[in-house]
Amino acid sequence: MADSANHVELRGISKRFGTTLAVDDASLAVERGSIHGLVGENGAGKSTIGKIISGVYTADRGSLLVNGRLESFRTPRQAFAAGITTIAQELSLLKDRSVADNVFCGVESTRFGFMSRRGTQRRFASLTSSTGIQLDPAPTAGSLSVAEQQLVEILRAAARGAEFVIMDEPSARLSGTERDQLHRLLREMRERGTTVLLISHFLQEVLDLSDAVTVMRDGRIVRTSNAETETADTLIEAMIGRQLAGNYPPKAMPAQPGQPRQGEPPALRVRGLRRPGLGAQSGLDLDVCSGEIVGLAGLVGAGRTEFVRAVYGADPITEGEIQIAGEPLARPPARALRRPQWWSRLRPTRAIRRGLGLIPESRRDQGLLPDRSLRENISLPHLSRTTKAGIVSRRAERNLVVAAAAGAEVRGGGLETPVHLLSGGNQQKSLFARWMVPGLKVLIADEPTRGVDVGSKRSIYDLIASASGNGLAVLIVSSELEELIGLCHRIVVMRAGQFVAEFSHPDLDEAEILRQAFGGEPIPPSDRQTAEQQ
Amino acid sequence: MNTSPFAALARYGIVWVTLALFVVLAITTDGFLTGPNLRNVLDQQATLLIAASVATLTMIAGGFDVSISAVAVAAPLVALRVENATGSVALALLAGCAFGLVVGMVNGSVVSFAKINSFITTLATSFIVFGIGFLVSDRSILRPESENYRDIARTRVADLTTATWISLGVVAIAWVTLSATRFGRHVYATGGNIEAAKLAGIRTGRIIVLVFALSGLAAGLAGVVASSRAISATPSDDFSFVFGVIAAIVVGGTSIAGGTGAVWRTLLGALFIAFMVNGFNLHQIDPIWQRIIQGVVILVAVAADAWSRSRRT
Repeated sequence: MADSANHVELRGISKRFGTTLAVDDASLAVERGSIHGLVGENGAGKSTIGKIISGVYTADRGSLLVNGRLESFRTPRQAFAAGITTIAQELSLLKDRSVADNVFCGVESTRFGFMSRRGTQRRFASLTSSTGIQLDPAPTAGSLSVAEQQLVEILRAAARGAEFVIMDEPSARLSGTERDQLHRLLREMRERGTTVLLISHFLQEVLDLSDAVTVMRDGRIVRTSNAETETADTLIEAMIGRQLAGNYPPKAMPAQPGQPRQGEPPALRVRGLRRPGLGAQSGLDLDVCSGEIVGLAGLVGAGRTEFVRAVYGADPITEGEIQIAGEPLARPPARALRRPQWWSRLRPTRAIRRGLGLIPESRRDQGLLPDRSLRENISLPHLSRTTKAGIVSRRAERNLVVAAAAGAEVRGGGLETPVHLLSGGNQQKSLFARWMVPGLKVLIADEPTRGVDVGSKRSIYDLIASASGNGLAVLIVSSELEELIGLCHRIVVMRAGQFVAEFSHPDLDEAEILRQAFGGEPIPPSDRQTAEQQ
Repeated sequence: MNTSPFAALARYGIVWVTLALFVVLAITTDGFLTGPNLRNVLDQQATLLIAASVATLTMIAGGFDVSISAVAVAAPLVALRVENATGSVALALLAGCAFGLVVGMVNGSVVSFAKINSFITTLATSFIVFGIGFLVSDRSILRPESENYRDIARTRVADLTTATWISLGVVAIAWVTLSATRFGRHVYATGGNIEAAKLAGIRTGRIIVLVFALSGLAAGLAGVVASSRAISATPSDDFSFVFGVIAAIVVGGTSIAGGTGAVWRTLLGALFIAFMVNGFNLHQIDPIWQRIIQGVVILVAVAADAWSRSRRT
């Protein structure tokens, strides 16, 4: 119509939640058949914009135009009807239903109200050939990897004839190859005329893929520009409104990286660790010394999370010994008792008592009690320290929590604020605060900055660096190699449940680490499956 | 985000509506605000409060115990058999509570170790326990032999019955346990996010066994107190007691999803429902309508909980 080049256009959109103005007078035009990047810190309003376009929220003020026509969606279903669909960071599949069932969920092929198997098969085949996505329709969605599940979501969008796809952090949970595959797919979608609104924290990804980039800050649009005129630095600058000196704190080197000080055992010592999918060929050995930051690099499914969970005692091991500052967490079992089911569950309790802390992969599913206060979330593993005769001493608890929260610079609410009201960055920091307690010797952080905004990322890096400067041993698992290179003194590469290479600062070569992570020979499928099971 | 005054109002909604109902009934009826009437309401609520205040812990830990009814039916039968055999009221009380404790431990162990949904587990054990009740009593009404058995619930101390005192004591213990002890914190954590609780070093399996055991113990005590008030116990397979218990917990604002709630909420929820029923009677409203209105009130309470959950991001 008036301006048909624009697929979706926002004019003066505002949206308020309680006292927060999440989106403030935002105007944005997304050109048909383009990939449009949307970047900004957490809480800048990106996802809210996406949810207004897709009908999850209704704007308080302003107008939304789709194909030049004024629309006001009240439900996601109305947005579907206009060809708009969202692929969210947290995938929303029916895990126990088949791939095909998921793809056609809500738009099933039926004959006289009964499911038509043949119609479903035919449509699935035509869908895979038109999108170029090869997937088996039969297995249940829950049995697929995260990347494959995402493909199911993309097929689902295609099945609904979506012309405008909003992707919210699509690559946050993918490994390198999977990410490349996704990028290829997005470009193909653009070639077929689909418009993509790409919301992402990965600036390089946005720059590589997008035609135009919009930067948001505090609910406002800072600017929209041609992606070719931007660099990661200019985007970050626009997002935070100040120049970042460097993204990482300077590395304070321990006296001898990888070597404990004379006469002192390493803070963490792992010897001969095995569990299904891990250490199949030879048991895993690792030392992390006090003051050292060690990174675990590798592809998704390489066994990094499985390794750290086993060390912490969250999952059973079949063999091996773990020591914290020379004290064993568990004795090697007598041969007769070598059954993983019951002897070797070390239990996190014991690890915590010895001074080992874990920040899990997913703060929402494994880290926080969303309804409980910041105070209760921080003190949770340490209540034995503040309890007398079973009763929690409020004063002792408060002292512990105040010091910990200050140490981790948690902001955005008092100690009694329920953590679900905090921003993503502050939620993550509250998990760090949980371990900023006296007596901690080793901290394991699994994906310490996942889904966290740029500003909070930097302060988490500072936190890790200063904690290690004070003598903490830190072990980091991260899928962002750049992050490991920027922070770590040493990087250990995992592949198919084994440690395959080790690099020390200053020889942390990105290309070489990646080469090791991918490996020369293909991963035996049997190992891979067991590694991915957990 | 939802720190608006309205959200604060909604958060303590049960306090305001209970107070409002109290005031309305005090004004509109002659009989409500009198010592005998209020004492009577408390006495009638005693057994429900005993079971509900402890079952609140189970619910917050993410469990659902429907075997409360069966235990409250079978435990007094066990207690009276013991009383008939030994003549000792103390032993009878002990036996009734011990029976509830054992059933609760079985429930908790099955839920925790066999990982069977707690509703299904306790539904199944309910049938077993109802059956035990028929076996123990030989399908007949049991009565105490000594006069003292009725004293468990019917002694008057400072104008209140011992049933009321026992219920207030159990409410106080449950309240302190949940809000001030480490165990209470672990209960919240287990129901709020079991995976996070495990990673924080909490033995969630043990917590689940314990909350079910306590819930069974309280249901046993409630059953014995009820039989002492009635001076008899009858075998049956009547599930209705647990519905009243769950209604009180839910109307108070404890979430059936686990992780949030409080014992004081259950106390208010029970009082709210009791005042409502009392008010209906004083106003001579048809009992048929009483049921329908009660149902609506429970729906509103659960809807309010769901609504406040859906609003957060």
